[in-house]
Amino acid sequence: MKSTRSKRLVIWIVGIVILLAVWEATVRGGNQMTAWPYPSGIFAAAVALLADGTIFAALGGSLQRVVIGFAFGALVGIPIGIAMGVMEPFNRALRPVTESLRAIAPIAWIPLAILWLGVKGNAALFVVAYSAVFPFIVNAADAARSVDRNHLRAARSLGASRWLILRSVVFPSALPQLFTAARIAMAIAWSSIIAAELAVGIKIAGGGRSVAGMGQLMVETLYVKRDVNALVFGMLVIGAVSFLIDAGQRRAREKLLPWSQKS
Amino acid sequence: MSAASVRKLAFTLRPALEGALGIIGFVLLWWFTSSALKNPSLLPSPRLVYLALKGLFAGEIFADILASLVHLGIGYVIGVLAGLGLAILAARFRAFSEFIEPVVEVFRPISAIAWIPIAILLFGVSAGVPIFLIAYAATFPIFVSTLDGIRRVDASLINAARALGASSNLVTTHVVLPGAMPYVLTGARLSLGVAWMAMVAGELVGSDTGLGFRIMWYQEFFAMDRVMAIILVIGVLGFVADAAIRSLQRRLLHWQPTDSSS
Repeated sequence: MKSTRSKRLVIWIVGIVILLAVWEATVRGGNQMTAWPYPSGIFAAAVALLADGTIFAALGGSLQRVVIGFAFGALVGIPIGIAMGVMEPFNRALRPVTESLRAIAPIAWIPLAILWLGVKGNAALFVVAYSAVFPFIVNAADAARSVDRNHLRAARSLGASRWLILRSVVFPSALPQLFTAARIAMAIAWSSIIAAELAVGIKIAGGGRSVAGMGQLMVETLYVKRDVNALVFGMLVIGAVSFLIDAGQRRAREKLLPWSQKS
Repeated sequence: MSAASVRKLAFTLRPALEGALGIIGFVLLWWFTSSALKNPSLLPSPRLVYLALKGLFAGEIFADILASLVHLGIGYVIGVLAGLGLAILAARFRAFSEFIEPVVEVFRPISAIAWIPIAILLFGVSAGVPIFLIAYAATFPIFVSTLDGIRRVDASLINAARALGASSNLVTTHVVLPGAMPYVLTGARLSLGVAWMAMVAGELVGSDTGLGFRIMWYQEFFAMDRVMAIILVIGVLGFVADAAIRSLQRRLLHWQPTDSSS
């Protein structure tokens, strides 16, 4: 078993190396080195961006906005969702509004967000918060509604107040689903921030402005530096970050909620 | 009318009234805010947006809706066929699944959005950008859920069909695919959701046609009433598309209890 596994790994590594070599040779052979990305160029671009810290500044800017937008989404979305889950009239009144707002692609708000909050990054923040709030509302409402009735009755017959029931029955039993909501919200938030920063960046392309986030960095790379290899590296970084975020949240869930089965 | 029948009427009408209450409250809030700001290019009032909608639907908007739907149609069909085809191949041939699954796991975290700059470079600012993004975005959800669905098909059903002499192609078309159908359709719906977002984002920054492009176009003129009108149109169309695929799901899977989650 072990030998087949290591054999497979070797096959994989050899395959990847051959693939990269063919790729490099094709681009170099065809003399297309400005139009198409190639492995050694991507590596060089990566080293350059890592060495002067540009990529860290850009990542830091984007991640900061994602975290703030995500926190906002959770703080607003969870209470609204739980209220919708436990109070049926409130749910009926609010659901049409949240459903219609949810149907709007968050990125479509970017022109208005720029107008309201400026291009400095707050417009992108608005888009992130907007996109993160709905997974929380929907899942919190669903979780609060599907709390075991017997637990509620037991708590009530033992004389628990509404607040106590919310805090120690509804919230804990909704927690696993809130983690799911967090994972969805985070994935959406991360891709929204890139989209929003791209849109903001394209609006103000050029002008030697300092780079504020991954999206702006990529716009600058595209329109000012015209460096395909750096673009590919930027994409890989974006992919790696979303992978790490997702893996981190899975780990956190396993650590914090070991009793909940994964979904 | 007797008191009892009034009460009964109120009882049946109440859910609808409560639903309307939320929308009315929202529009009132919007109206108050916009009239307090007194700046229609910062926040146009509901009335202005209504007039803008009326103006747009007098003709201009249909070309944009059509362009968006064409982008969505082409990209979505490519993405879904690619996702389905790859999933079926991966389920059928073990070697292929060992190759394709790691590849998918590498690309899946790279959202369609991250491809925008490369897509602009490859296709220029044109319809190619949204179509590419839509196809890319749509591929993954349907691939993942189809493969999952195929693997969850009851093995004893497959064995039974085989024991009765069905060829492996017949098993695929008559046992495996129908069994995986609920997952395929769920995947198709998820794909449509991400495709829709990819469409709006792609058109917004990388296209010269479509609703997303038109948002940016009107923003150049600070015609915020029209921007909001198009945002509304995008929302309504997105909602309709989701409802359509949900009803398709119900119709094709009438034998299965509907799943209200997600």
